[in-house]
Amino acid sequence: MSSTDLDPEEDDLVSSKAWDNAILLRLARYAKPHARLFYASFGVLAMLFMLDMLGPWIWRHALDGPVHAAVSARERDPAADIGTFVRQFWYWVGGYLLLVALSVVFRYHEVAQLNRTGQTVIADLRSRLFRHMQSLDLVFFDRRPTGALVTRVTSDVENLNEMFTSGLVVLLFDFVKIVGVLAFLYWLNWRLALVVTAGTPFLIGVSLVFRGGARRAHRAVRARLSRLNGYLQEVLQGIRVVQVFRREKAVSARFAQHLDGYLAANLKTIFLFALFFPVIDFVVSAIQGTTLWSGGLSIAGAQLSYGEFVQFWFYLALLVAPIRELGERYNILQSAFASAERIFDILDTRPTLEPEREKTSPPGFSTLPLRGHVRFEHVSFSYTEGTEVLHDLSFEIRPGETVAVVGATGAGKSTLVNLLLRFYEPSSGHITIDGHDLTELDPARLRRAVGLVLQEDFLFAGTVKENLILERESVTEESLEEALAASRADELVARLPGGLAHPVAERGATFSTGERQLLAIARALAGDPRIVVLDEATASVDSNTEAQIESATRKLLEGRSALVIAHRLSTVRRATRILVLHRGKLREQGTHAQLLAQDGIYARLHRLQFAESAG
Amino acid sequence: MARLWRFFRRFLRHKKQLIGGFLCIPLAQLADIAITVKIGGALDRLRAGSPTDFLAGIFWIILGLSAFKGVFRYLQRWWIVAVSRYVENELKQELFDKLVSLPLAFHARSRSGDVVSRVTSDVENIRMFLGPGVMYTLGAVVMVPASIALLCTLNAPLALTMILPLVLMGFGMKFFTPHLHRWSEAVQESIAEISSRAQENFSGIRVVKGYGLAAQQCARFDEASERNRQNQVNLGRSRGLTHALTHAANDLTFVTILVLGGWAMIDRSLPAGDLFKFIDLTFKVFWPIIALGWIAGMYPRAYASAGRIDELLAEQPLFSDPHDALRLSSPRGALTLRGLSYTYAGAAKPAVSGVSVDVPAGSVLGIVGPTGSGKSTLVLCLGRLLEPQGVLELDGIDVRRLALSDLRACLGYVPQDSFLFSERYRDNIAFGSDTELSDARIQELVELACMKDEVAHFPKGLETLVGERGVTLSGGQRQRTCIARALARDPRVLILDDALSAVDTETEAQLLANLRRAGEGRTVIVAAHRLSSVARAERILVLGKDGRVEAQGTHAELLERPGWYRETWQRQQAQKELSVL
Repeated sequence: MSSTDLDPEEDDLVSSKAWDNAILLRLARYAKPHARLFYASFGVLAMLFMLDMLGPWIWRHALDGPVHAAVSARERDPAADIGTFVRQFWYWVGGYLLLVALSVVFRYHEVAQLNRTGQTVIADLRSRLFRHMQSLDLVFFDRRPTGALVTRVTSDVENLNEMFTSGLVVLLFDFVKIVGVLAFLYWLNWRLALVVTAGTPFLIGVSLVFRGGARRAHRAVRARLSRLNGYLQEVLQGIRVVQVFRREKAVSARFAQHLDGYLAANLKTIFLFALFFPVIDFVVSAIQGTTLWSGGLSIAGAQLSYGEFVQFWFYLALLVAPIRELGERYNILQSAFASAERIFDILDTRPTLEPEREKTSPPGFSTLPLRGHVRFEHVSFSYTEGTEVLHDLSFEIRPGETVAVVGATGAGKSTLVNLLLRFYEPSSGHITIDGHDLTELDPARLRRAVGLVLQEDFLFAGTVKENLILERESVTEESLEEALAASRADELVARLPGGLAHPVAERGATFSTGERQLLAIARALAGDPRIVVLDEATASVDSNTEAQIESATRKLLEGRSALVIAHRLSTVRRATRILVLHRGKLREQGTHAQLLAQDGIYARLHRLQFAESAG
Repeated sequence: MARLWRFFRRFLRHKKQLIGGFLCIPLAQLADIAITVKIGGALDRLRAGSPTDFLAGIFWIILGLSAFKGVFRYLQRWWIVAVSRYVENELKQELFDKLVSLPLAFHARSRSGDVVSRVTSDVENIRMFLGPGVMYTLGAVVMVPASIALLCTLNAPLALTMILPLVLMGFGMKFFTPHLHRWSEAVQESIAEISSRAQENFSGIRVVKGYGLAAQQCARFDEASERNRQNQVNLGRSRGLTHALTHAANDLTFVTILVLGGWAMIDRSLPAGDLFKFIDLTFKVFWPIIALGWIAGMYPRAYASAGRIDELLAEQPLFSDPHDALRLSSPRGALTLRGLSYTYAGAAKPAVSGVSVDVPAGSVLGIVGPTGSGKSTLVLCLGRLLEPQGVLELDGIDVRRLALSDLRACLGYVPQDSFLFSERYRDNIAFGSDTELSDARIQELVELACMKDEVAHFPKGLETLVGERGVTLSGGQRQRTCIARALARDPRVLILDDALSAVDTETEAQLLANLRRAGEGRTVIVAAHRLSSVARAERILVLGKDGRVEAQGTHAELLERPGWYRETWQRQQAQKELSVL
């Protein structure tokens, strides 16, 4: 099939790599701690293989032994006593039954054990992957769509299960089987075995060639299907335009074109599969026919017994089955390689910040009460090379002061928060707390020392209480109670069915923005931090919640060093100092009254942003 | 079954291929059986001690039969599976056509993911059941009785006993399948849990890091991951059981053959060659029977899917044209609204309430108001995408008396979301016109929409693909392209639904001037957030939060009165000043 009719980028939906030793070796390292499970899997497969080989052997001995003897005896003398032969025959049958019973047990374990092995390895790998991602900086998350990251820990990891089970273990064993059966055939009857050996490369070749074609054809089908579905989604999204412009017929015709392309790709796949099975069957028949021919000669020449022929026939079936599956396993491996590559890509990403480990200095940073003296010294920052978001910013927050930052959207306000919490590193300049440069501090400890309230604050699935405590040892029942009372969030909690035990839906979807901010303030208060970072919500909230938030904010800022991205007039008015950011530069600073008197940017901003709340 | 029967009839419409395909099935299966018979016969002749020269002949016969079988297997698959693909496409097309004909109210209330899955996975479920399902069923229906009948002629008790394990397997499956379903559902749920844990963590990463929650989050993630592992292991156990059961049935069949067949051989009532036939046919019957189990498992899914597809096909458009619809030969574009209201299904309050206004042909009407005041709803009512209460007249005729297509023929609409197709740039503009557009005309439209310079810089100019696979347009470029598309049909009434929000103020002024110049006598309705977009309109409607008209008048008149319009205007002016600092 030609792939010229598809775009190149669609053509590499699947990694073209068929085999990659480096990836395999690395996967083997992740599998190593679970070596026992793998040994068990191999054990089960080996037992099963032995049982599979034993069955035909029993057939031969039953047929060539008692059955043949009985038949010959009766041929000589129709009244001959064949009691011993019959008894022998029953022994063989008993053996066969035992074998079948064992096979049933091992067949169960074949699937169950392999599956347990694969799932255990990938569960481990998944945890490692997630843990590693937790150590990465914000840059990593900001630059990648959340959906793609979720895919890494779900379907990509899931693909590796196939790699470990049906891919590696079974594939390895299939080779053992093919070689083992062939060897056994030689031992049984080398003439017949030669016939089969001559045919095997054809079988393997046909299987691989066809599967290669099938993979390309499948890829084309997937590409066509994704276009078809993409178009459908697009039309549903633009249904208004389609209907107002009366283009129903036109889009229908376009959809038909997509369907045609999809059908053409599908027909290729059908063609390949329709051809594959008969061709394989034909090769198998050729081998069987030759076996019969050559075996027949041997039987006539008394070099081969009937029982041996039957045994041989059973083994032939054992040999063909794994070869038939070979191509399919190969395809599984290939798609798993692509997933493994994507996963390793993440595991190889290193945090750009210093690793989050214990810092030697300053001694006892987390135990000593912080004073909370924050200084920004000539700080500049750019997310991407060349576009500066903050330029040469210097200011300080002395212990207990509230510094409010105002500015239009895109002025660089939230970047300040990102820098102070060391989510990002300044491109130049320094930020210090109590005289210590941020780079000397362990980021995790730094962050635990800061009370953070984000604009669109995030609640996790769980209970309200869990969300308020967030696993901090410093938060006790009492401090939580106090925080709730101080922030007046207790009124909100009292309204919830179950109170603190009220379940929070994913992302706190059942709470309004205002309620979420109120809970976030209570959460910060409960930790009694020395430094507060508050990004006020802009969304309008109902007047009751508004009043609660306002008083909660006051409580939170009282007596603490605070950096506030302010949207509330009341907050700005009470601030010790207001910084006016405009296009990444600190343009004005002073108190509310001073700045209004200056009649500069702040005065305009004030008219603009706070006009409504000013009434 | 009746539900699926209708889909089956659709399938049967492709008579030629299906008859061909159905005929191939017994031919291929009989050839397969013949191969076994030939080999068995040969074994008997060998035991009887006949000379071996017949073996070469047998070899060629086997090859010939295999080729014969192969050709029919190929044709059978090629025809029957292809038909299932044709039917898939027919169904998809029918569903698609249905979807584009359904009113906006339908699309507003249904989740697009759900609709898409009906067109994709539900259709696929039916296709699998009809195509490969029917093919394998017929295969088994031919193979199993034919083999057993043949074996009965050799040794009836043995042939009939052979079926027992298969029957046992059938019962066993019935017992195990619910477990399979239960665990695979549990696995799906736990994967969903992993996925939402990860999603939550990644979206809330600032809080996670800000509060140093990584350890706790890892623990929770591990919990979910472990739960999934447990469910997977249990699913693996259920799979193991069914796997073991299927093979047990097969093995027991062989046990039966060994016992009864061996006994019959001793008895000399069964020649050795016949025993071989039993063995070989058991190999051949096994897989069709497995396939039957697989198809039986598909049935409930196909049945449910058929229901979901029927449901969609049964959806009706809200209204149809009156039989005595009036024809509009040359509409002028005057609109009259009298007490126009619209309430969304399930909403307590109307989104638009009692709007009355006259829009003379060739005039410009501005519609403004805070977010959620019903601007878009009102605009959608004008094209009858939503069916409002009250009176709406075009050139003095109630729109309900007009053919819907006539009404829409004279409308040009620029949607709020500035929706474009991932097609060539020129196709997106030509989409607006009922007739083919010349290159010159498209150039002219591009120029009118102030996109000329930008299009010149596209890699392939007008031929450039829009969207992921081509150029990604900025919000402003999209809006201007949507305007060019709307102008392409040279509409009598042009509706802009907040269609200039992402265009900078300078280009906005130029665009509005272009629209005025190019559309002599055209009625223009401008819904907007930015008041500068409507400042020059002949009349401006100010909608309030409750969807009622709060004030109306010209820009100058509205500025004189205190109220939302004046406040907003001042604020927007201040913002504009600030942005040039």
